[in-house]
Amino acid sequence: MGLVVLFLKGIPLGIDFQGGTEMQVRFNAPIEVSELRGAMDKAGFAGMEIKSMGSASDYLLRTPLQGEGQTVADKIQTGIKENIAGKDFQVMRTDKVGPKIGKELRTNAIYAIVFSLLGILIYLALRFQFVYAVGAVVGLFHDVLITISAVAIFDAIFPQLQLEFNQQMLAAFLTLIGFSVNDTVIIFDRIRENIKLFKNEDIEQVMNKSVNTTLSRTIITSGTVFLTVLVLFIFGGEVLRAFAFTFAVGVITGTYSSVFVSSSIVVDWKHRIIDKNKGRVSLSKN
Amino acid sequence: MKKNLLRIILTVIFIAAAIMYLLPTYQDYQIGKQLAGLTGQDSLDFVTKNADKIKKSRDGRIKLGLDLKGGMYVVLDVDVVKLLQDLTKKKDDATLNQILDDLRNVPETSDIPLMEILKQKLKEKGLNLKSFYGEVRDSEADVEAKLNKEVDNAIDRAVEIVRNRIDQYGVAEPQIQKIGGKRIIVELPGINNPGEVRKLLQGTALLQFQLLKDPESAVKVMQSINSILVGKQITDSTGTKSNKLDSLKSKDLVTSKDSTKKELAGKNDIKKDTTKTKKDIAKKETNKKDSTKTNKKDSTKKTDTSKLAGDTSNLKDTSQANLSEEEFKLKFPFFYLVRLNEQSGTADGYVREQDKEKVDLILKREDVKSIIPSDVMFAWSQRSFETGGEKIFTLYCLKKDAELTGKVIEDARSNIDPQSNTPIVSMSMSSEGSADWARITGANINKRCAIVLDNVVYSAPVIRSKISGGNSQIEGMGSVQEAKLLEIVLKAGALPAPLKIAEERSIGPSLGEDSIKKGLTSSLVALLLVALFMIVYYRTGGSIADLALIINVLFVVGIMASFKATLTLPGIAGLVLTLGMAVDTNVLIFERIREEMGSGKPFRTSVDIGYKKAFSAIIDAHVTSIITGIILYQFGTGPIQGFALTLLFGLAANLFTAIVITHFIFDMLIEKGKHVSIG
Repeated sequence: MGLVVLFLKGIPLGIDFQGGTEMQVRFNAPIEVSELRGAMDKAGFAGMEIKSMGSASDYLLRTPLQGEGQTVADKIQTGIKENIAGKDFQVMRTDKVGPKIGKELRTNAIYAIVFSLLGILIYLALRFQFVYAVGAVVGLFHDVLITISAVAIFDAIFPQLQLEFNQQMLAAFLTLIGFSVNDTVIIFDRIRENIKLFKNEDIEQVMNKSVNTTLSRTIITSGTVFLTVLVLFIFGGEVLRAFAFTFAVGVITGTYSSVFVSSSIVVDWKHRIIDKNKGRVSLSKN
Repeated sequence: MKKNLLRIILTVIFIAAAIMYLLPTYQDYQIGKQLAGLTGQDSLDFVTKNADKIKKSRDGRIKLGLDLKGGMYVVLDVDVVKLLQDLTKKKDDATLNQILDDLRNVPETSDIPLMEILKQKLKEKGLNLKSFYGEVRDSEADVEAKLNKEVDNAIDRAVEIVRNRIDQYGVAEPQIQKIGGKRIIVELPGINNPGEVRKLLQGTALLQFQLLKDPESAVKVMQSINSILVGKQITDSTGTKSNKLDSLKSKDLVTSKDSTKKELAGKNDIKKDTTKTKKDIAKKETNKKDSTKTNKKDSTKKTDTSKLAGDTSNLKDTSQANLSEEEFKLKFPFFYLVRLNEQSGTADGYVREQDKEKVDLILKREDVKSIIPSDVMFAWSQRSFETGGEKIFTLYCLKKDAELTGKVIEDARSNIDPQSNTPIVSMSMSSEGSADWARITGANINKRCAIVLDNVVYSAPVIRSKISGGNSQIEGMGSVQEAKLLEIVLKAGALPAPLKIAEERSIGPSLGEDSIKKGLTSSLVALLLVALFMIVYYRTGGSIADLALIINVLFVVGIMASFKATLTLPGIAGLVLTLGMAVDTNVLIFERIREEMGSGKPFRTSVDIGYKKAFSAIIDAHVTSIITGIILYQFGTGPIQGFALTLLFGLAANLFTAIVITHFIFDMLIEKGKHVSIG
């Protein structure tokens, strides 16, 4: 379902990645969205994206335009001044990103994700076995996909959350990759240890044992991190909100995928090898 | 126990280092608090009294990012099309202009370099680059290489111009960085005026040649400024007075914290002086001794820097002061700030870096402005020289009307003179400029002509002879870098460096305050919750873990201060996450210990085995996170890098606290026979 929404709506890209101008304003008195929209239409910004930022006096205005010279931000300001009488406002923040920079940030974001996955793959392949590395990375793919879908769904349902793929969201994704792999590594570490201890047992049993013994740790850690992120989400203000949301979803899927995706892949793979060889395979490398 | 001793020593050293690095931040915070409680004159006094302390703590404190403090972040690109327009020999050629207009419309996201598109388009029309940008003998490839080099040069020029202007604009702690050889990043904390900054960054630079005022009249102007400061009516400088003055002028720079304080107070309220003089007089003796010392040092230094002025006279110790330091300051406040050097035969004023602002204020005063003759202006030197550990800037007194503007410069090149083996800069002028230049130089032989960019003097060489033919040589540069800078500046006159704003972010100060408050409170709440949980769930073990957490935070912030890193909001998030990791590490160890105890082992052994067994998992988990952190730092920009940085610092600190610190606390407690509960 997440993927359906994802394909229908796409990921809501922030101006960081597509270029444009964004301005956050605070009025000294509450104002209707419609009034603001009317003013913007008159100022030549028909169909401009206008979002409320939690209260009726805080708004985010966004347009893909990013002119040179007399820049868009100035035009928006005069637009408000001229068309909304008697309401003072304060510009809290303006961002302007040129399309070229936007494109570069976008490629850099993709590089960042791909390279970190690659780095993890290589490191785990060295420390464990290649199968484990594959299991972990597939698990990570799963996490990233689920989380992106969740972002897309929630953005469609609650636009006021302001979830969009910007640089902070990218940071959240990379952190969740780090966190989820952390989870996975700890389970794998236990498997590695248990395989040596219980040489005569089936891989599946070893795996179960390992997951079970690490379960309390998994729950406590994920629980506390989730708690932390939840607090950030609620009290952190709009700047941290997207980050906290993404990471909160990531913590859940990350925990789940370590157990059910990464470990299962390793088990399946091992079974297949065992089936092929019709015999017991030595699993320990170290 | 020996092993523990080493651990304890390490821990103590690290904690001490962290605290040492954090001290300036704390001081800065304290000073800020004290200042907030003062108003008007009191705060001014406070600032001047503690100038050194304030500066020191400010330099060492943790810097807050733009998202926390408010300010502007601008990324500038060279406008290649504009540059091509400026560079061509045939500015009015319709075909070329048409093509350049087309180039403007090429989407910025296109991957083909503009130069390639230009070549292609010219080819379609049966033209080539050479006919617009080259000489007869040049090959097409030469011309292209030359154009590409111009684009590279333009960035260097732009950096210089931008830096110069921002310095004049007076932004605290600006950051100007050239990245990737084609882009400039400018960070201006605390600035919230996008329109003004945009103008500042994109305006055309103005390079001018201005003659210096002759020393006598320059000194007269300064004397009248001094008179105003003393509060007297302007009197003609009679012989006796100026004699006395001259002997005073030669008294050189003296540093003393008290004097700075007094000076500022004196400027605003002369009456106040008397109340404070007593204390100062006590210090007079020491000051005097200092003054002779610095004087000698200065004289050698000064000859270095006044090479351009053609000054070769060796300065003797000239501080035969008739008046004491205090009296001098009272009677000649202007010359106290702006020191002249009689022997040099110039009227260059030497001003300590910290006095620069005061002198600016004086020069901006209405009454002062009104007595500065209309054909005179003051301008600062771009470079400073150092003497006695202080930076000294030069204040020049110039003729206001420029003799020539930089537009006549065709080219400038820095070189090493093969004969004297010293750096020189040669410049050539257009035929029209050459004629003017010959006339100007002819009429002003042995006078000095300043090269002024945006009202800042980059060099003030002496005109040795009449220069006809338009090729001039400037000698006396201290270093190759200095010559290179002058080349850049001269070229800025020949060719502006058109800039485009590619990215611009400005954060209002109130939003910064908002986010810092929310970010900090939420982080604290989260931390407290986690800490509470640890204590409830793991008892003594949990408390130890919490202690480790606090030490962890101390380390991370300490490392940040020592690296002079900037704390941003994502940075705070990164900090919170590393704390999550720290908790995880402890949980991992405690669960392991519990397991071992569960299998019936005694507590002591369980602790050792627990730490040992958890170790591989901890290392693997941290290394993978460090990999992500490094990649994030590599590919992220601004705020994201801040996040990655705290994450990396945090992970490193975490490895240490979890493996070393908590372990030895456990060991110690067990050794003392105390019962340690882990839930």
